[in-house]
Amino acid sequence: MELFRQTHIDFLRWKWWAIGASWAMILVGLIAIFVQKGLKFGIDFAGGTQIALRFVQRPDIDHFRKILDTGHFGDTGIQRYEAVEKNEVLIRVQQQRKEGRDITAEVLNLLRQGLGSAADASKLDLNTQGRDSLAARLVAADPDQVAGKSGQNPTDYYGRIAEQVIARRSQMGLFRSSADVNSVPGLTPAVKGWIQANAAAGPFVLLSAGSVGPQVGADLRQKALWAIATSTFGMLLYIWWRFRSLPFGVGAIVATVHDTLITVGLLALFGREFNLVVVAALLTLIGYSVNDTVVVYDRIRENLRTPKKEPLEIVINRSINQTLSRTVLTSGATMLVVVALFFLGGEVLNTFALTLIIGIVVGTYSSIYVASPIVVIWKQVSGRRRLVPVPAVKPTAPAPAPSPQKKKTGRR
Amino acid sequence: MSKRLRWRVLLILLVVAGLVAGYVMTGYSHAKKEWVGAGSPPLSEALKKGIKLGLDLRGGIHLVLQVNTADAVKAERDDAVEQLQNQAREQGVVLGAVEYPSEASFTVAVTPQTDEKKLDELVKRWLPDWNVGSAGGKWSFALKDPRRRETEENAVAQAVETIRNRVDEFGVAEPLIAREGTDRILVQLPGIDDPKRVKDLIKSTAFLELKLVEQGPSTDKAALLAPYGGQVPPQLELVEEKAQPGQRQPGWYLVKKAAVITGRDLKNARPSRGQFGASSVTFFLTAAGAEKFSAATGANVGKFLAIILDHRVQSAPRIHERISDTGQITGNFTPEEANDLALVLRAGALPAGLTYLEERTVGPSLGLDSIRKGITASIAGALLVFGAVVVYYRRAGWNAVLALLLNAVLLLGAMSLFNATLTLPGIAGFILTIGMAVDSNVLIFERIREELRGGRAPKTAIENGFSKAFATIIDTHITVIISAIFLFQFGTGPVKGFAVTLIIGLLISVFTAVFVSHTVFELEYGRRQHIDALSI
Repeated sequence: MELFRQTHIDFLRWKWWAIGASWAMILVGLIAIFVQKGLKFGIDFAGGTQIALRFVQRPDIDHFRKILDTGHFGDTGIQRYEAVEKNEVLIRVQQQRKEGRDITAEVLNLLRQGLGSAADASKLDLNTQGRDSLAARLVAADPDQVAGKSGQNPTDYYGRIAEQVIARRSQMGLFRSSADVNSVPGLTPAVKGWIQANAAAGPFVLLSAGSVGPQVGADLRQKALWAIATSTFGMLLYIWWRFRSLPFGVGAIVATVHDTLITVGLLALFGREFNLVVVAALLTLIGYSVNDTVVVYDRIRENLRTPKKEPLEIVINRSINQTLSRTVLTSGATMLVVVALFFLGGEVLNTFALTLIIGIVVGTYSSIYVASPIVVIWKQVSGRRRLVPVPAVKPTAPAPAPSPQKKKTGRR
Repeated sequence: MSKRLRWRVLLILLVVAGLVAGYVMTGYSHAKKEWVGAGSPPLSEALKKGIKLGLDLRGGIHLVLQVNTADAVKAERDDAVEQLQNQAREQGVVLGAVEYPSEASFTVAVTPQTDEKKLDELVKRWLPDWNVGSAGGKWSFALKDPRRRETEENAVAQAVETIRNRVDEFGVAEPLIAREGTDRILVQLPGIDDPKRVKDLIKSTAFLELKLVEQGPSTDKAALLAPYGGQVPPQLELVEEKAQPGQRQPGWYLVKKAAVITGRDLKNARPSRGQFGASSVTFFLTAAGAEKFSAATGANVGKFLAIILDHRVQSAPRIHERISDTGQITGNFTPEEANDLALVLRAGALPAGLTYLEERTVGPSLGLDSIRKGITASIAGALLVFGAVVVYYRRAGWNAVLALLLNAVLLLGAMSLFNATLTLPGIAGFILTIGMAVDSNVLIFERIREELRGGRAPKTAIENGFSKAFATIIDTHITVIISAIFLFQFGTGPVKGFAVTLIIGLLISVFTAVFVSHTVFELEYGRRQHIDALSI
């Protein structure tokens, strides 16, 4: 099967249109960012607290808001998370100036008090207690009476039991009532009885919680930017050295920056939040975009090595055409993986996949329409064509590789 | 098969066997640690445990703490002041009021009676780490910079040690406690899902003091101080009671400033049952501590002894008789609290306070969910790519599939051997690696097709295709590896995880795409003298 067979598309003919389109896309993104008064940073970069919970019952967001208002946390956001039937909620609290407040613990306490039944308040909460707390309670109560028996260390014995209870909870998602411990394998009736009498299934289970100080957020932001900037500079140096030409290095970097800007802008337009996962996706996209660009450059370099004296534009056009089927095929294959991630990867990978979907489209476009035209424009502006010592006005027709639009390549 | 080809096949088999064996062995050693059943863990368990999963995938707690090094510097300053005052008293040097302009400096006023020459000798002898100046009837002391840095350095190092002790006592499997930068400490506890408890445990300074009670408790400070003319006498101090649940207003105790014993005199501590079965903590003293304790309790039978933890009175039992080397701390403890208090007392006190800069908890169910979905999505993505490659390149497509599968297997094996941790950003690196591996194969196949279109014989086309694509593949891989090296150097945790996976993955990708693929082509077509057509 073949998608393209020796195409002869005059890509560079549209270079000014392409540059216009690129600027338009960048502007759309910048306007989206401007309208939202800056990027929407997640807690990784802005600081604050974020808690994801899964509830036993369908969550009533308004009710939650009323409960949390009593805690005076300031700016608080509550939203649904994942599919509706999963009963998952994301709570965000803007950073408190006050030192030493444990926001996560306070939010969880308020919700537990506001939603749990009064009878359960004094009992151990099976849904939020960790393995160690459960084990400590079991050791203290010792329902199986292992203390003092030879060969049995109560801490180890009940530690294993607690481990199994928590593993079962992870498997089920959460416990709906303390009777669910009956489904935990390998428990004695005494232990089951003790748990049912002394523990209750709380209203929610903690999926994840994060809290980042404002200073750390700023730090992380700066470090991520610094890492991206230095690695981009490293690539510039390598390409400059490898292709013995600054315009190539600059072209690759401009294409990368172009892709990153457009992707960031579009993510802002879609209202996505900026966090470390997005940074990981942006790093992936930068790698992908440079890879694409280097493949085209490599072909250009190879084509320039032939003794034929052709104008740079024709050489570049031919190189893009020669690599076109590879470009489309690779992008398509990578896109398949990313689309699978987008639909099947769950909430955490969703933004990651979206970033890459945008990135692959933009990255493929930029290696054709940004990276190479920059080399051409650079040479035209600088007026020197050290790569191809040929009169600029009259391109000589290349004999064996006919290009249908070859007469128009000098357009402008 | 030519000799060269035979060597290549052997090398490939060796690499594959080595990495697969490495993976299985690492998996076994990890699985054994957690295996609770009889005998050795089954192979399926070892395969699951071959790669260490990051906290974002397996659940756990990630904390970044800042050591308030100023606390340690302040302690150094207070020691110096005490030293100076003690020596001055012994030598009969009169000193005026002491003031504290900052945590690393203090001033001492001189009076007309002060023998400044003698004071100068004192200072030279006993405070060599301090810069001394005198102006306007005051001597000022500032801690010398190298000494200050050393104090801060020690505080952080000691804090790391103390936290490590506490975490070890808590019994967490594979904890990570590492210093970050000058005054930060990173703590990662996999599998723990009880953030509040762990945080309290780590942060508690656990500074224990036992002091004799002079007056109290009383909720009225003024009434306590009335016998002393409303002022706290110099040898005494006011300490607040620990707030108990249901109690409106905590009371105050007036206690002797000099502690009978402190946490440093402890040899051991363990949770116990007090009167009426309430949870309590029993402590045991060192020989020196026991000597002090027995003298003080013997001389003060009938008085109350305040047990002060982190500057709050936990309880103040009456001394019934001389006690030598053991005591009990009671208070309204839950069993967990008693357990944790005993633990921090055993592990030692922190030299300085800690502030939480960052904390993340991933519950075990979210981790499980992420892994399950990540795996499903990756398998679906891989199958789609394999399908596309086979449809497009027919027989040669199977070569690519083999190279990609090998790439994934080798990457897992290498990560397991390097003991690298797989995190979510690591998966991103994995995906980019696979993307570039697909690309390498596509580059080679497209080159071969081009050569075939140019009229080359199939064998020459394969040779030319590989050699021409080689330069491009090397270029793309090196460019991305260079960027990954910079990311590793300058990035933080998650960015580093991405970079490590990417670097390992790309090295393997070069090997599978260029070396393995080429060998497979040669195995397929090399033996035949003449090939009519390639299935590509």
